[in-house]
Amino acid sequence: MADLFPLAEVSEDFFRDRSGGGCIEDNRLFCPGWVVENADRYVDPTLQHVVLVVSAVVAGFLIAFSLAVLAHRHHWLSSPFLAATGVLYTIPSISFFFLLLPITGRGAVTAIIALTAFTLQIIFRNMTTGLRNVPDEVTDAARGIGLTRKQLLWQVEIPLAMPEIIAGLRIATVSTVALATLAVFANGGGLGTEIVVGSNITFKTGIIVAGSIAVLMAILFDALLLLAGKLLTPWTRTVR
Amino acid sequence: MPAGDRDPQPSAGSGTSASTVRYESVSKQYPGSEGFAVHDLSLEVPAGEICVLVGPSGCGKTTAMRMVNRTVEMTSGDILIGERSVKEGDPARLRREIGYVIQQIGLFPHRTIAENIGTVPALMGWDKERISDRVSTLLELIGLDPEFADRYPGQISGGQQQRVGVARALAVDPPVMLMDEPFGAIDPINRSRLQNEFLRLQAEIRKTVLFVTHDVDEAIKMGDRIAVMKKGGELAQYASPTELLMAPADDFVEDFVGADRALKRLALIQIKNVNLWKAPVARAGDPTRPVRDALNSAEVPYAVMVDEEDRPLGWLSARDIEGDTVPEHPGSAAEPVLDGEVSLRDGLATLLASGPQYAAVVDGRGRLDGVLSVEIISDFLSSDQAAHESIPAVERVGG
Repeated sequence: MADLFPLAEVSEDFFRDRSGGGCIEDNRLFCPGWVVENADRYVDPTLQHVVLVVSAVVAGFLIAFSLAVLAHRHHWLSSPFLAATGVLYTIPSISFFFLLLPITGRGAVTAIIALTAFTLQIIFRNMTTGLRNVPDEVTDAARGIGLTRKQLLWQVEIPLAMPEIIAGLRIATVSTVALATLAVFANGGGLGTEIVVGSNITFKTGIIVAGSIAVLMAILFDALLLLAGKLLTPWTRTVR
Repeated sequence: MPAGDRDPQPSAGSGTSASTVRYESVSKQYPGSEGFAVHDLSLEVPAGEICVLVGPSGCGKTTAMRMVNRTVEMTSGDILIGERSVKEGDPARLRREIGYVIQQIGLFPHRTIAENIGTVPALMGWDKERISDRVSTLLELIGLDPEFADRYPGQISGGQQQRVGVARALAVDPPVMLMDEPFGAIDPINRSRLQNEFLRLQAEIRKTVLFVTHDVDEAIKMGDRIAVMKKGGELAQYASPTELLMAPADDFVEDFVGADRALKRLALIQIKNVNLWKAPVARAGDPTRPVRDALNSAEVPYAVMVDEEDRPLGWLSARDIEGDTVPEHPGSAAEPVLDGEVSLRDGLATLLASGPQYAAVVDGRGRLDGVLSVEIISDFLSSDQAAHESIPAVERVGG
């Protein structure tokens, strides 16, 4: 029997009861016992989800930031950029996945590209608004005391646009957390896996758990960005 | 430290670094517009003087000023600071050596007061210690408590912000300052205070200042010289305030200066510079006879009671000194008391506002100098003295 022991151990775990003490049979809306017994299966999808969201928002921020700086320097670029990012924003993500499939194949990269495209408009719009809202007298004074255009941008305009930039990032991040659940259709992983797999007309607990994790993640990211914003804009807390 | 040879030595009160500013046939025409914004402007501002550019809106005064630091580029002509043309070199570098103060102040809201003041020194590569020394000096110069250094512009009043704006402009001790309606957005009471403060500061720092305003009274108060401009960017007259008021070059200037230009001249004279009346002086406990005798022949129907150090305490009427000795207390308080440094205009305003027709005038140490009356002022206006007497703006500071 001794040589069978390790095998028994594995099989014991494999075959352990994951039925939540019978609440699947009872078909209640939410089954806490099932959640406890199945918590491990959410770890990987949650981490994948974080990677999807962070990659998409960081990439989206870098691109939209560059576009906004360009459009600020050359105003005529503003309309085409707005139109282009607007189109990307409105394309339904699922169609985007299928459009990208021949090029990037199935996987997280495809999902991240589609999600990035979605964030551009939000971040671009907020940042251009922020740059436009810098008071004229501040730029006039900055120029008049000898800041170069580059110094004006980096030392004055971007810091002053920071509240709007952060606001854009917050909206983009929260929406991306929700949208990234669709990444499963591009085979990109994430919490959507559990929602699709867990889809069952009669048993809802799996969907509720995956959805709740996504909501918590959105709140957490939002709080982090809020905090970052406060730290980056100390002057806004103290204005009369 | 990069570009160390370009750094002017900061010296808040040395008054050494000022340059002449010379406009040579400067014109500005904006693309797509027929007329000139500034047309063939030639004038020279001597080092250390305040030149006020004044005129109705659209006369090109701000454009004329902005061409000095090339925030507006001239179409033709040249502007020389000292011997150097502003067209030489990079505009950003030029601007760091020219103080710039605007009406809306334009402090950086995201930077503390200290960081705002230290902006240009930081751009010029000064080290931290030198910047913070300079910031302390300047805060003291503009009379702002050092505790303000770490506040943000949003946390201080408009008047304080304007002072910080001036300090920022003075940070690297530039030889020239441009001020575009610097006190235009400040309420009248604080405006007058800031004007006086700036004139006191200017007495110390002696910069060459180009000061733009649309307000003739401010021009007369602030200017050593006034350039009156009219539509089309033409220079109508360039003269000292007295000359401008006594001999306007044409109808436009006469009209612009105003029908009350005679009264405006009062702003150019300090009280101590006119012939004040001598009132009989009395001290508590003195015998009254000599005072009564003096009162009979005096121009003022009251004697002034003074203390041991000649500081006025109050007025004594003939009835107050009917006794043998001067009483312990005056019949009425010595209100108002005017500082001899104050302008006749402010003196007249005080007289009219306070009721009594006479005011005691004191010197810098509070000692009685004489008595000012409305009659003295009206005599002064009809005299020749008004036409010639004039004092530099920086000495014209009044209460």
